[in-house]
Amino acid sequence: MPRVVSHRKPSLLLFLLLSLHLILMASSVRGVRGGSLLEDTLLTLFSPFLRGASGVSSGFASTWHHYVGLRGVEEENRRLRARIGTLTLEAREAEEARREADRLRTLLDLKDTAHPSSIAARVIARGGAGSARTILVDRGSNAGVAPQQAVITPRGAVGRVVEAAPGVAKVLSLVDSNSGVAAIVQRTRVQGVLVGEGETTCRLEFVSDEAPVEVGDVVVTSGLDGIFPKGILLGVISEVGEAQGLTRYVQVRPEVDPHRLEEVLVLRAAAAGTEAPPPTTATGDQP
Amino acid sequence: MTLWKALLGLGGVALVQMLLGQHAPAVAERCDLFAVYTVYIALTRPPRTAVVLGSVAGLVQDSLTGVVLGLNGFKKTLLAYLTGALGSLFMFNQPVPRFGILFAAAFFDPVASLLLSLAMGQQHSFPAFGDLALRGLANGVIGLVTFWVAARVP
Repeated sequence: MPRVVSHRKPSLLLFLLLSLHLILMASSVRGVRGGSLLEDTLLTLFSPFLRGASGVSSGFASTWHHYVGLRGVEEENRRLRARIGTLTLEAREAEEARREADRLRTLLDLKDTAHPSSIAARVIARGGAGSARTILVDRGSNAGVAPQQAVITPRGAVGRVVEAAPGVAKVLSLVDSNSGVAAIVQRTRVQGVLVGEGETTCRLEFVSDEAPVEVGDVVVTSGLDGIFPKGILLGVISEVGEAQGLTRYVQVRPEVDPHRLEEVLVLRAAAAGTEAPPPTTATGDQP
Repeated sequence: MTLWKALLGLGGVALVQMLLGQHAPAVAERCDLFAVYTVYIALTRPPRTAVVLGSVAGLVQDSLTGVVLGLNGFKKTLLAYLTGALGSLFMFNQPVPRFGILFAAAFFDPVASLLLSLAMGQQHSFPAFGDLALRGLANGVIGLVTFWVAARVP
């Protein structure tokens, strides 16, 4: 009967273990007043296990909470990214609006102070075929725009109107090869005609080979053509060539770049011939 | 099942009981995983090993719960012995009898506590029958799941 034998064997063991637990209980109950040695010993023996279990439990709880937290963070991150995109777009739009407001404020100042009867217009297209350089503005004959009216910006002259339809007008740029503006060198008062070269520069024609002109001299309108008022900035001399007979080649770089124009002023005929205010020397955005 | 596996199982039981105590106290109050462990060991291990492991499980439970040291050790030692003795008299290899002894183990615990408290002159309150039935039900279900899982673990 091995089964019976095996059952008798643990009886002694059972007795010993139960006795041990009874002693432990008695010791624990007695030790409530000041703590028992047995309890302390057993707690010390089990403390590594308890610490390990507590660590695992804390780690589990921490991982769980962090996981839940990360799910929230991911959602918040997605929402914030979308918000950043929206705000970035709004900031760019606001910056563009600010720049436009600055340009328009400058243009309005010029209009109010020097050319009250002028017409503010917005550039809507640029044309260029061969050496022709023209721009289209959104004001036409119904707004009072007519051919042979000067077009300027606070930085200087742009060109003149060559065609005016009811809602749009074509402006011949200074650099167009058909453009000609009566000009004068500001420093030496040497006069000439500023003619476009079809690209980005103009040349000052009819300048005597002995005329005192230098690179860097400022060229303004003389007002003799009856289109531009006197004193509007045209450009700066960028090259002075050798004498060619009685005249010499003088290259002028226009102050206004027609490719960067956005708003202009069209001067009515009455405005032409009057003295223009000093040109703006701003170096910021091209108005 | 080697001794190391049994001790590993005891560690797992302690860990799960701690987690339940921290995150689901209501469930932990109705689940005595140490009792389930003791019954399982008593039905699957030799009697001497079962008694020793039951005793250790009780001590671990004492350490975790902070009750009088030796109280659960005493009860689990006795539970292991009695379950092993019953296991030698009856067949507990089917779910229904296993559920029955697991259910009974839930009742054994407060009865033993009551007797010990009386013997030591301590006051003790006996839980309501409904609570005991719930504990027995929980022990039975968890125990059956334990047997089912353990039978499939290599």
